[in-house]
Amino acid sequence: MDHGKFTRVTTYFHSLLALDVFLLFFTGYSVMFNDELWWMVEFMGGNAGVLALHRIAGFALIVLTVFWVTLMLVGPGRRKNFKAVLPTPTDAKAFIQDVQFVLGRADERHPNARQFAGYSSDEVPLLSYVGKGVVWIFTVELVLLMISGLLIWSKTGAAQLFQTKAAATAFVTFHGLLGVVMVMGIMFHIFEHGFHPAFYPVEMKAFVPKSVMPHEEHDDHEGTGIELLSLRPTWKWAVNLAGAAVVIGIVSVLVGSIFDSGYPIPAGLTPGGGPTSVLLTIGINIGMFVLLLGVVLSTYGNVLRARYEQQVAGEQDSEPETAADGGQPRDDD
Amino acid sequence: MSEALAVAVSAVVGIVVAVASVWYVNSAYGTSFENLYRVNPTVEGGGVGADYVAGNTDPLLDALIVVIHAVDVLMGVFILALVFVHWGAFRRLGARMRDHDEPAEVATDGGRDADNGGESA
Repeated sequence: MDHGKFTRVTTYFHSLLALDVFLLFFTGYSVMFNDELWWMVEFMGGNAGVLALHRIAGFALIVLTVFWVTLMLVGPGRRKNFKAVLPTPTDAKAFIQDVQFVLGRADERHPNARQFAGYSSDEVPLLSYVGKGVVWIFTVELVLLMISGLLIWSKTGAAQLFQTKAAATAFVTFHGLLGVVMVMGIMFHIFEHGFHPAFYPVEMKAFVPKSVMPHEEHDDHEGTGIELLSLRPTWKWAVNLAGAAVVIGIVSVLVGSIFDSGYPIPAGLTPGGGPTSVLLTIGINIGMFVLLLGVVLSTYGNVLRARYEQQVAGEQDSEPETAADGGQPRDDD
Repeated sequence: MSEALAVAVSAVVGIVVAVASVWYVNSAYGTSFENLYRVNPTVEGGGVGADYVAGNTDPLLDALIVVIHAVDVLMGVFILALVFVHWGAFRRLGARMRDHDEPAEVATDGGRDADNGGESA
């Protein structure tokens, strides 16, 4: 299970944010990539249904984000997290060392890159270089997405403010294109935390609060001790399948966002949003499948958490019976 | 401030800000579509739908779209690089681990290897 990082509130927040963001992706991108994801729109109640769901999820996103920012400001001991998220030159080194590690020119991943800390948990910072990147991208993206989303909440309001329907459409397009960075990043995030060989199929750090993570005293051990763990037999093909799906998903969403951006007005009238192809349709659908995998893994992580907490509670219930006085508790006769 | 109070205060702030912002964009800022495009100022002569002929007349918005396309492509390439780096790193780390049929001392979930105990034959 490795060392803990999240507090209990963070685990709940992370799961709720994930579900909400996935719903925003499924509703938003089935509209933007309507040529490829028409079935999704039908599935979620047609155009009106999808946009209603998107607005509800958008409202929830504002609640969650403002909740989180406020908690970071007023919560006990949380302000030091602002410092932990600042990028340092060491993070750049960690990225370079990761590349060297893949090329066989370094023996270990840098502590700032290490997901599985094992016996080296003392060396590993709260956030890896990717973790810091995720926080920054989420912050910038969510702020811009919420502002542009609110701006186009009332289309007539945006049109009146900017005088043309085309300008209102430009903001809709901006909103959709902005989310592309995030949708690509989330696909990577699912791969990063679902397919690490030590954690596959899901990294439990995001689900089990650090307060209930087991703390085992360990003797001095060279390295992380990953060589002591056994690899799940399905991992070998699962990592390649997921890796391929993530790459296809990212490339397709990126290509789709350029050719099918839903902004047909300035370059000439091309109703329908532009060219589409069978390959792009398959690719974007694979991307959506990766996101669905994220929902499944997030749910699975919570199921495992519930099971683990039940197990811990069971052990605690039985412990005092023998530890307190060495006897069995019994009712007074 | 205690953890529970901080969570409660943050939840209230989140809900209040969300309700207020959605209320604002729908009331102070919304307008009836009946009031739009009766006279269109974007094309000389104007008229209903004339803005679609002219296209987007605000160069700033066009520039914004171009910039965000570029950001998508740059970030997309970087994220792809991260995927490949992690894919490679995972394969290398996976190669260091024991195969499943080898007895493991520690399992990833912190439990004992189910095959590694029990009764002997």
